[in-house]
Amino acid sequence: MSSAKSARWWTIAGIVIVLYSFVPLLWMISLAFKPPSDIVSGTPQFLPSTFTLDNFAQIFSNPLFTRALINSIGIAVIATLISVVVAMFAAYAIARLEFPGKKVLLSLALGIAMFPQAALVGPLFDMWRGLGIYDTWLGLIIPYLTFALPLSIWTMSAFFRQIPWEMEHAAQVDGATAWQAFRKVIVPLAAPGVFTTAILTFFFCWNDFLFAISLTSTDSARTVPAALAFFQGASYFESPVPYIMAASVIVTIPVVILVLVFQRRIVAGLTSGAVKG
Amino acid sequence: MASITMRNIVKKYGDGFPAVNDVSIDVADGEFMILVGPSGCGKSTLLRMIVGLEDITSGDMMIGDTRVNDKAPRERNLAMVFQNYALYPHLTVFENIAFPLRLSGKHSEEEIRKLVSEAAATLELGEHLDRKPANLSGGQRQRVAMGRAIVRQADAFLFDEPLSNLDAKLRGQMRTEILRLQRRLGVTTVYVTHDQTEAMTLGDRVAVLKKGVLQQIASPRELYDQPVNLFVAGFIGSPPMNFVPARVTGDTIELPFVSIPLRDEWRDKVQDGKIYIAGVRPGAFEDAEFVDAGKKSRGVTFGVTIDVTEWLGNEQYAFVPFEAPAEIVSQLAELAADLDSEQMRTQICVELDPLSRVRNGDEATLWLDAERIHLFDPATGDNLTRVEAADDAVDGAGRHAAAAG
Repeated sequence: MSSAKSARWWTIAGIVIVLYSFVPLLWMISLAFKPPSDIVSGTPQFLPSTFTLDNFAQIFSNPLFTRALINSIGIAVIATLISVVVAMFAAYAIARLEFPGKKVLLSLALGIAMFPQAALVGPLFDMWRGLGIYDTWLGLIIPYLTFALPLSIWTMSAFFRQIPWEMEHAAQVDGATAWQAFRKVIVPLAAPGVFTTAILTFFFCWNDFLFAISLTSTDSARTVPAALAFFQGASYFESPVPYIMAASVIVTIPVVILVLVFQRRIVAGLTSGAVKG
Repeated sequence: MASITMRNIVKKYGDGFPAVNDVSIDVADGEFMILVGPSGCGKSTLLRMIVGLEDITSGDMMIGDTRVNDKAPRERNLAMVFQNYALYPHLTVFENIAFPLRLSGKHSEEEIRKLVSEAAATLELGEHLDRKPANLSGGQRQRVAMGRAIVRQADAFLFDEPLSNLDAKLRGQMRTEILRLQRRLGVTTVYVTHDQTEAMTLGDRVAVLKKGVLQQIASPRELYDQPVNLFVAGFIGSPPMNFVPARVTGDTIELPFVSIPLRDEWRDKVQDGKIYIAGVRPGAFEDAEFVDAGKKSRGVTFGVTIDVTEWLGNEQYAFVPFEAPAEIVSQLAELAADLDSEQMRTQICVELDPLSRVRNGDEATLWLDAERIHLFDPATGDNLTRVEAADDAVDGAGRHAAAAG
């Protein structure tokens, strides 16, 4: 097979894959702009018969959604911040220090990450009720941290390990304390790693459904993915699908923005030029 | 500025292996000291102990009159240039050089600007101050690393193989540059290298290390002319010294192709009938045709078959294989392993006049300067014929006189 021909096949295969993954997204967007009557129309079509923003207006006037959006943002941001800060220190220690039990610690962390979450939901439900943190922000932040930290530590320690030791040594010889060397040299260099883990953690918290539906019961801590399940139509006879889709579009936007804004930072190797390259 | 004194420095790692073993070196104020040796000899470890990046197992490390064993690197006021430069990639050249000044917190913004521009001017970095290290060439990065060192009033400069990442041409230029800078600033300098050319050209004195043990510390000239043992003799000089079996028989020393008279002052150092290792520099040989009549009487001539010649324009080398007794061969193989080289076969490297027309496979008559030979004990490797204190201000002529006298 000639290379031009094989290149064409690759292009076709690429288009197929892109279509396959984009159709549900496009379908979601299309539904979000359809008037509810379109959903039950006898002649369904892909594009809305009339573009309408009513669905968005509807969900933003619904406290079920606005409250859930606030919960989602709050919980995801707090969990991400804590997780990144803790993971940064832990990963730095793991990358730079030799201490007994390091291997065990790392394997344990990985073990936790692999633990099936569904198996924990039941016990957590009981415990959280006993502790009085059921249906609170804290009640969701704790399990999110538990499951986000191990992977954060792993990815960040990989980033720290890539930074040559000489960076800190040079900083120390130049007169920096260990803390100054970390803050002024290592953290800026590890920024791509920090962003990557922050985004991964944020997505994990943002997208979680299992904990959100099991450990909440009211508006006070219910996040958007869980709240979507409680959406109803304007009347008993009206489908809630357009509202759910409008809400889905709204919660997808931050994810898309984050990826677009930070992808270059994630990809860019900041350490180029540090040492002989 | 200050002197650096190392007293019985030992570095042992967790497994008890001494990477540096009982090394004592005095680096005088303003002196350019070279630490040299093959890889794994502990030279970098020693340097890192001076700067404080490596703990000292035992011994005293003094900078000036202060014992610094327990001081953190930042308290020692030393500047170091790393092998891979270790520039801060997220900072511009200006900020890289200003980094130590900003950390000290003692300088105003104006002073920093002034000091950095001075350092940059010295190193001709003025036009690159706003660039990031990633956009600089290898030589420029090297200069930024040096700028970071000279910008503050450090007590001493430490260099850890600073030129090994540069290509050969640039390395030569930067070597001269470092030497000029050190001479101008007059700062105490410790410079680690495995390159014996750098060691010979830069150092006021050179310390040769082998497996963590200090072998000899002397001026480059003394190291070359009066090496203390086989290791130093083999390490210093390029191409390296030839080692050949030498049997002492009565009044003569029998070398593979020729016999030379045994000198009177050597008689009580050697035993009759025993085999020693003779060390002869390639330069001690010459094509017999090109030897002055006046010089000729000092040596002996002999005929050999040349195996291979290498003509380099201003110099020419010829290689002559020889047979050696098994014990000498094994001793030489061990030495080669210590020196990070490989002993392929026992052969003599001979430096010929570039005009010599001797070619591969020719029969040639060579001349050997019998006065420029050392005898080494095959068991211990010690130089039996070393002349002490041939160091101070000995020029070529005086050296021969001393050796002959």
